[in-house]
Amino acid sequence: MPHKIKKFLAWLFSGKSEKASHILILPASFWLAFFLVVPIMLLLVLSLAQLGPYGTIIWHPTLENFRRVFTPLYVPIVARTVAYCGATAVLCLLLGYPTAYFLSFYAGEWRDTFLILLMIPFWTSALVSIYSWIIILGRDGLMNSVLVGSGALGKPLDVLNTPFSVILGLVYFYLPFMILPLYSSLEKIPKQYIEASYDLGAGAFQTFLKVTLPLSLPGVFAGFILTFVPCLGDFLTAEFLGGPRTYLIGNLIENQFLMAQDWPFGAALTAVLLCAMLIGLYYYQKLEAAELAA
Amino acid sequence: MKSKWLSFYAAAFYAFLYMPISVMFFFSFNNARRNVVWRGFTFKWYGVLLRDAGLLGALLTSLKIAVLASLLASVLGLLASYALVCRPPRFGRAFYSSWLNAPLLVPEIVLGVGLLSFFVRIGVPLNFWTLACAHAMLALPYTIGSVRARLLSLKGSQLEEAAMDLGADHWEAFLKVTLPLAKPAIVSGALLAFTISFEDFVTSFFIAGVGVVTMPIKVYSMMKFGVTPEINALSCCLLALTLILLVSAQVLRKSAKA
Repeated sequence: MPHKIKKFLAWLFSGKSEKASHILILPASFWLAFFLVVPIMLLLVLSLAQLGPYGTIIWHPTLENFRRVFTPLYVPIVARTVAYCGATAVLCLLLGYPTAYFLSFYAGEWRDTFLILLMIPFWTSALVSIYSWIIILGRDGLMNSVLVGSGALGKPLDVLNTPFSVILGLVYFYLPFMILPLYSSLEKIPKQYIEASYDLGAGAFQTFLKVTLPLSLPGVFAGFILTFVPCLGDFLTAEFLGGPRTYLIGNLIENQFLMAQDWPFGAALTAVLLCAMLIGLYYYQKLEAAELAA
Repeated sequence: MKSKWLSFYAAAFYAFLYMPISVMFFFSFNNARRNVVWRGFTFKWYGVLLRDAGLLGALLTSLKIAVLASLLASVLGLLASYALVCRPPRFGRAFYSSWLNAPLLVPEIVLGVGLLSFFVRIGVPLNFWTLACAHAMLALPYTIGSVRARLLSLKGSQLEEAAMDLGADHWEAFLKVTLPLAKPAIVSGALLAFTISFEDFVTSFFIAGVGVVTMPIKVYSMMKFGVTPEINALSCCLLALTLILLVSAQVLRKSAKA
């Protein structure tokens, strides 16, 4: 190896120069800039363009695409998305809170195992879990064959392709995103606070309401943001567990890019989504900062 | 008393969490074409998978992309985390740690349509390579997270200084001391990156182009076609693969700590 290169490498890995550090981070930064920032910027620009004939794009700035998002044709879809994702976040909270509480205070030595068990469904492909919900909820699915077979029902229920099945699928998928922040804020509560509350004569319920719950609120808010925001962009769940009447913004975006070929409008929808995400992220960061300061 | 009810709830909760996977697993051995009534035990759906040429092709494509993406993400991640641990730049320290996590924060559908418009706009044909590059971007936070934690724990050990006292320069010390010591974490990060790439559907769905069919895309099109026991068997195989990858990554991380 030529001497010069060797000397350069020695300098690069010396840990003495900040310039060397910037150079070492540069490839990763470049990668993100090229495959993440530029595409998003392009989308924002595209959202201001116009659709020409045959799916071509006319680069003449307009806000028409954004106006269209809020026309009677699309407002129901936007409203439905917000409603479904809100319902999903609330249900995740109600279902997840007791589990997070259990993990923080009662799981004992099994805690790590339970936490890993919680993450496994999250790491498996969303397609796989959606598919299993189809087997369970479908018209000749497991649920119906058990209910009809046992005589509990006269004829099978049409659960699939309803708001219920879509929200169920979303709740199932986003539960870990709720439980983990809840768990981490519950776990931080000093046990003495709870004991002190009991010593002062409060019952279990009163202690929960006046001590534990208020102290876990940062986790509740963080969990709400972490479920609500990614949920806004989901399209697979509604595509398989719902029908055209339960389509969400995600499905609309998918449709604009792959079927309708109206990319400027699709980009405007994506920009709206991105805005919601940034607002969520802003509040999430603020929460984190407040947690660190406390 | 209270803890009893809570434990009961937790048990029910975990049963709910694992119900879909268990149902799928159970019915992947069911000897019936259409419905979910038990008709006896069979391995035949797994046999069907093995004879499906399209499926094996998709598997091969996915593996190739995942190997390439995890290699890329590992190299980029190693360089960046070395710099962040050994000499965090005073200017931009906080910026870098959120910046390098950016792929985790952006919804995947945004990345998918963004990359699609980007590649089409700059005239790059959508193919195997563009997909691998995009997957490397998705996986970067995972490789950085894994390697960074290990390098931080090595930092106190002064082994690099010892190597240099023995006559090595910084590059040699990095190559012969730090790198071997960080290897389990690097491999662990690479396995996570591999899993991310192998399982990615949303981004791939938008930018795979016509010719590239990865495993999740194949599963998607099978699901569009209808419910078959073959998908059960396939899902179980994919699940097993994910579990093996994650467990190996975890074991490697634990072994690095010891």
